[in-house]
Amino acid sequence: MTCDDAKKSMPLFLYGEMSFDEEERLETHIGECRTCADALARDRAMFAALDAAEALPGAELLADCRADLHRNLAGVEPERRSGGFWDRIREGFTVHFHFAPGVGQPLGAMAMLLIGFFAARMLPESLLGSFHGAGVAEASVISRVRDVQPGPSGHVQIVVDETRQRVLTGSLEDQNIQNMLLTAAKDPSDAGVRVESMDLLKNRSQSAQIRQALLYAVQHDTNAGVRLKALDGLKDFADDPETRQALTQVLLKDSNPGVRTQVIDLLIPHHNSDLVGVLQEVISKENNDYIRMRCQKALHEMNASAESY
Amino acid sequence: MDESELIRAAQKGDQRAFEQLVRLYDQNVLRLAMNLLRSPEDAKDVYQEAFLRVYKNLHTFRFDCSFHTWLYRIVTNLCLDALRKRKVRREESTVMETGEGALDRMDTLQESRADGNPQRQLLSRQLRERIQSSLEELTPRERTVFSLRHYQGLRLRTIGEMLGTSEEAAKNCLFRATQKMRVALGDFV
Repeated sequence: MTCDDAKKSMPLFLYGEMSFDEEERLETHIGECRTCADALARDRAMFAALDAAEALPGAELLADCRADLHRNLAGVEPERRSGGFWDRIREGFTVHFHFAPGVGQPLGAMAMLLIGFFAARMLPESLLGSFHGAGVAEASVISRVRDVQPGPSGHVQIVVDETRQRVLTGSLEDQNIQNMLLTAAKDPSDAGVRVESMDLLKNRSQSAQIRQALLYAVQHDTNAGVRLKALDGLKDFADDPETRQALTQVLLKDSNPGVRTQVIDLLIPHHNSDLVGVLQEVISKENNDYIRMRCQKALHEMNASAESY
Repeated sequence: MDESELIRAAQKGDQRAFEQLVRLYDQNVLRLAMNLLRSPEDAKDVYQEAFLRVYKNLHTFRFDCSFHTWLYRIVTNLCLDALRKRKVRREESTVMETGEGALDRMDTLQESRADGNPQRQLLSRQLRERIQSSLEELTPRERTVFSLRHYQGLRLRTIGEMLGTSEEAAKNCLFRATQKMRVALGDFV
């Protein structure tokens, strides 16, 4: 191998892109050639400098990108992959709304849409009575094709989701507002809305209905941020048997160490004999050193062993 | 759900599945765009455009290559376009004018390695400037191959596949890029 060949192959060597034999030849040459050994050392230093100068995007930029994308996706309808034949037919057809008898599911969906439509029309006079004068603003109607089905006689059924946006304002003490927040706290499509709703509800955990929602969220919500907010709302009920039972399950089952740590903060101050077995079980299976240490300390304070027999 | 299940669900119009899919890859996509374009604004634009294109065209993905390769092909093409446009516009500077004077957008980036030591920060800044100018000397294609290999750690074979070229062509491109970097950074390292 010549010095020229060696210098050419050095970057590939450093990137691990050479075969075993090529690496052998280069290493042999470098062992015998001081100039090439120095050149390789310089390349290594250059690679290290390039590593150090990597332009890493900050967490804030990533969060901005995600939020923008979430907003942008709402306005985009993706092409859906389905049967192929109907995809092609759908593009060429003039669409007629014609509801054939016996087509259960789409008809049911349309019926629900109609109910929703009329319910929305009637809301100001019924359920939303107290929002009058508190600012109810109408916005545009958002439609989305949910399903397309072939019907008899060449007709096509299209199921459309129609959402009428409204801005509702009112006091947190208002039962209707609370009901809206309780519904939003369970909205599976938007964790951000659930977090915000939970944040507002958590200070009203004296209400049994809200406490039930907090207990449900802490055990079942898929988003750790929502679960943490719900835990915050339950802190005044850490000695309530039902709450303790739910928290115990969260401590044993939740995948997020932050959530488990907060549960320990709630459970431990109320030294309770039924906690001993739970803490021992946590110690036996917990991977997080800090949580294990907290459990051991609590057991020590309760004069209980850290091990179960 | 694993990746292929997420893709299939997203192909059926499940937006939540799509957003979960995005989260598997978006940090690396943003990192790639940042390293290639060295501009947070441009990287953000590429991020949006890439994932919106993926969303609109996911129904055409047939699992005949990895999703990663398919996604990166879209991202690298967008970055290459941005670099080519930038070459034409000669908008290479990262410095922008603000109400409080000139601000280098790169200074707003997360300082990844330098600690609180002022001397190290100065060296880090000088090095970054030198690397920035040496990257500007590369052609868009050289810059792309270099970033994919150096910062993303992709194999040359994969890079060739993404850019629609051979492994050998990607290797030559990388060689030219490192040669230029050696010249530009030779007295610094």
